Amino acid sequence: MDTTLLVQALVSGVLAAGLYALVSVGLALAIGVIGIVNFAHGEFFMVGAFLAYQLFVTFGIDPVWSLFIVAPALFALGGVIYTSTIRFVLKAPELNQMLLTFGIGIILQNLALLIWGGDPRTIAGISYRGIGYQIGGVSIGLVPLASFVISLVLVLGLYWMLSSTPLGRAMRAVAQNRTGAALVGLEVNRVYLVAFALSALLAGIGGVMIAVIQSPTPVVGFAFTLKAFAIVVVAGLGNVRGILFAALFVAVAESLVATMVPNGDTLRNAVFFAIIFAVLIRRSWRTV
Amino acid sequence: MSVVIRATALAKHFGGLAAVDDVSFEVEAGEIFAIIGPNGAGKTTILNLVSGLLTPTAGRVELLGRDVTAASPAQRCHAGLGRAFQVVQPFPEMTLRENVLVGALFGTPGLSRADAEHRADEALEVTGLTALSAVDAEDLTLMQEKRLEIARALATKPSVLLLDEVMAGLRPAEARDAIGLVKAVRDQGVTIVFIEHVMPVVRDLADRVLVMDHGKVLTEGRYAEVTQDARVIEAYLGKEDAA
Amino acid sequence: MSADARVRRVAGTAAATRVPWDLVGLVVLAIAVAFMPDLLKAFFGRASVSYLSIATNALSLSILALSWDILARTGQLSLAHAAFYGAGAYTTALLVKHASLPLWVGIPLGGVAAVIFALLLGAVTLRLRGIYFAIATLSAAEVLKAVVHHLPTPIAGGNAGLNVPALFRPEFIAGQMERWEVAFLRNEAYFYVYGVVLLATVLASILVQRSRFKHAFTAIRTNEEVAGVMGIRPARAKLLAFVLSAVFVGMLGAVEAHRVGSVLPEQSFSVATTVLALVTPIFGGLYTTLGPIVGALGLSSVQETLRRTFSDGYLIGYGVVLVLSILFMPRGVVGLMNGLMRRRAKPAAGAPERTGEEDRP
Repeated sequence: MDTTLLVQALVSGVLAAGLYALVSVGLALAIGVIGIVNFAHGEFFMVGAFLAYQLFVTFGIDPVWSLFIVAPALFALGGVIYTSTIRFVLKAPELNQMLLTFGIGIILQNLALLIWGGDPRTIAGISYRGIGYQIGGVSIGLVPLASFVISLVLVLGLYWMLSSTPLGRAMRAVAQNRTGAALVGLEVNRVYLVAFALSALLAGIGGVMIAVIQSPTPVVGFAFTLKAFAIVVVAGLGNVRGILFAALFVAVAESLVATMVPNGDTLRNAVFFAIIFAVLIRRSWRTV
Repeated sequence: MSVVIRATALAKHFGGLAAVDDVSFEVEAGEIFAIIGPNGAGKTTILNLVSGLLTPTAGRVELLGRDVTAASPAQRCHAGLGRAFQVVQPFPEMTLRENVLVGALFGTPGLSRADAEHRADEALEVTGLTALSAVDAEDLTLMQEKRLEIARALATKPSVLLLDEVMAGLRPAEARDAIGLVKAVRDQGVTIVFIEHVMPVVRDLADRVLVMDHGKVLTEGRYAEVTQDARVIEAYLGKEDAA
Repeated sequence: MSADARVRRVAGTAAATRVPWDLVGLVVLAIAVAFMPDLLKAFFGRASVSYLSIATNALSLSILALSWDILARTGQLSLAHAAFYGAGAYTTALLVKHASLPLWVGIPLGGVAAVIFALLLGAVTLRLRGIYFAIATLSAAEVLKAVVHHLPTPIAGGNAGLNVPALFRPEFIAGQMERWEVAFLRNEAYFYVYGVVLLATVLASILVQRSRFKHAFTAIRTNEEVAGVMGIRPARAKLLAFVLSAVFVGMLGAVEAHRVGSVLPEQSFSVATTVLALVTPIFGGLYTTLGPIVGALGLSSVQETLRRTFSDGYLIGYGVVLVLSILFMPRGVVGLMNGLMRRRAKPAAGAPERTGEEDRP
């Protein structure tokens, strides 16, 4: 086995883990605070990616700057979706909540397919896209590195926000006890709204980065919903701390398979699904 | 007298916490056996271990002389164990009679539909619910729900019935009705194990009492005996202070 | 008259005059299937060829939806329906390629293959509920798709899939028929095959609803622990639901492979199949025999329009239906109708008043 190739795969996996953690942490926020498993989460990511693409094509805005447009736009989108749909099913059976977000996901994905079609879209001709560093035969691209750093900063920022700000404390209070939080005067509905919008915002930022790293199609969102779910499940529901490690595990596993197995690139998604499946089944059969 | 339930050195740990630790007791046929103790003493865990909703960390459970430690809840039900829950859990999409019919249809494998319907009607009769047969289960009052909970368990034709705090939330007059109901069920030959907080109810009903505290058996005996026990008084007064 | 006696009397008369609507519906459906092709031909002539094809799609959607609903009755929201469908489709395609059996044998064997996959999947996912079950089944379906995709090309065709010969090749007899009647005969034959599969699915659904399994399924869906204590064996009931759900959609996948003429990993295991399977019963009304069929008839008429209008994103219509159904009619069209009828019937029947609400603590 070629060691350089192995190291390269590990490095690529670690760099990808940042983005995965960013998207997953948003999903975990929605699950933890609101108690909604959002099947449309990856679609926020996709919308972020295609907004960045369109801003570049139409106005020539560099993706670095469109981060500052996409973030508030996705925050607003999340808020609108929460207000117009999610808040009506907070007390409905889990099945209904799930199906509702599933439906929202279908709408967003197919809306994107109608607008942009099914072909991959590339943000071409940005100067920093090709820049990379060589360290002992292992190459590290500037863009994946930057996305790793930005993601890490945002994830750690979210931890800080949850632990040290009044809003974060409110979110944790609501997550632990809905009625209790209402009694101490927190406006539960507003906390939910902010949490959901924030979760969309984080996914949207991740989307901008994927638009530069890859050439996504509108179906990238669903794959990322499942990736994020895999990571959240591996970390354990409600365990925000575990997400960084779980993202690392999942991303490295994916990268290793893609590099080491012949034809492995197309098996990437299957690796994710196999991991989710194995983890879920294993958890469920631990004796009660 | 024959032993209906024999629990031997039962233990249940959740993570590092021992909810139940080294608990042994025997329930004899035809008696009314009470399990009491302060909150968190492990009473409901005991019922869950006996009915198979939890697997014990150690120890064994025998039902009518058979080792059922590894048996599923359904197998224990078929062996003659009935269970009514503390938090009443009717099937809301069914009528009251359908709820009871579920117990009758599945409590005894191989029972014909006609026999099951007959058995369901009997259980409704005993619990005084016949007039409400066609009502949706989600439209019941608390007392009616408690009766339904018992009717459903009775319809499985149990030899022994586990009742988890059936008096909780009832008014005094309703509680008296419920006591009468439990006695009537016993008089049909069903052994009864119940958890209860309300001490006068325990006094009126129980032949024997098992007192638990912090997952362990404190003492066991007749109501008059255990209530004189210094440890029991301390466990309860301690709780009284805290409350 | 005591309240007791009155309720009994009402219950008694209701039982005596109860019409077996489910069986009546089955007979009506059978008659409709039997006469549909001739009726279409008589009314529309040449255009009946494409109408028959649309009607076949409606039958297909009905099978998909009703078979999904049977499993959903146990509270398990499966996202593996595409896998059962694909298992059936690939079974018949592989048999054609590697074994010299009569073509029609692939259809029941497609059902068998789906059942085997369902039993394996059902057995390991027994303890998963809600969202976890959904995600696990979706993952299993995607893994199966990837496995089929990566089987050596000489075996399963890889990315390019396999060709599947048509089940029916009616011949043109000059002088006795017109050209378009060949296509009509072919579509008619497929229509009847789909009709038979649908009737079998409906019959299975009715049998479940009339047996004690209806109660077992409902009990498990509401509260699995209580169901177990009542003597229900949840594992057995769930596996039965899995088998019933898979067998018909597996057969559907096999028939459809012949009708379409090929199997492809992306097409035969498409997430769209799963989406259709779950949106339709939710729109029509969950946990009933009628609901999924009503939903299929309603949606398949929209489907054609959507597919023609938006080639790439036609699923958007289903997303909208799904969201609106959950928000405005969580019990589906059938539930909405029942609600209206009940509201009208209630004052007349003199239902017992709800009393003692104030007794709740």
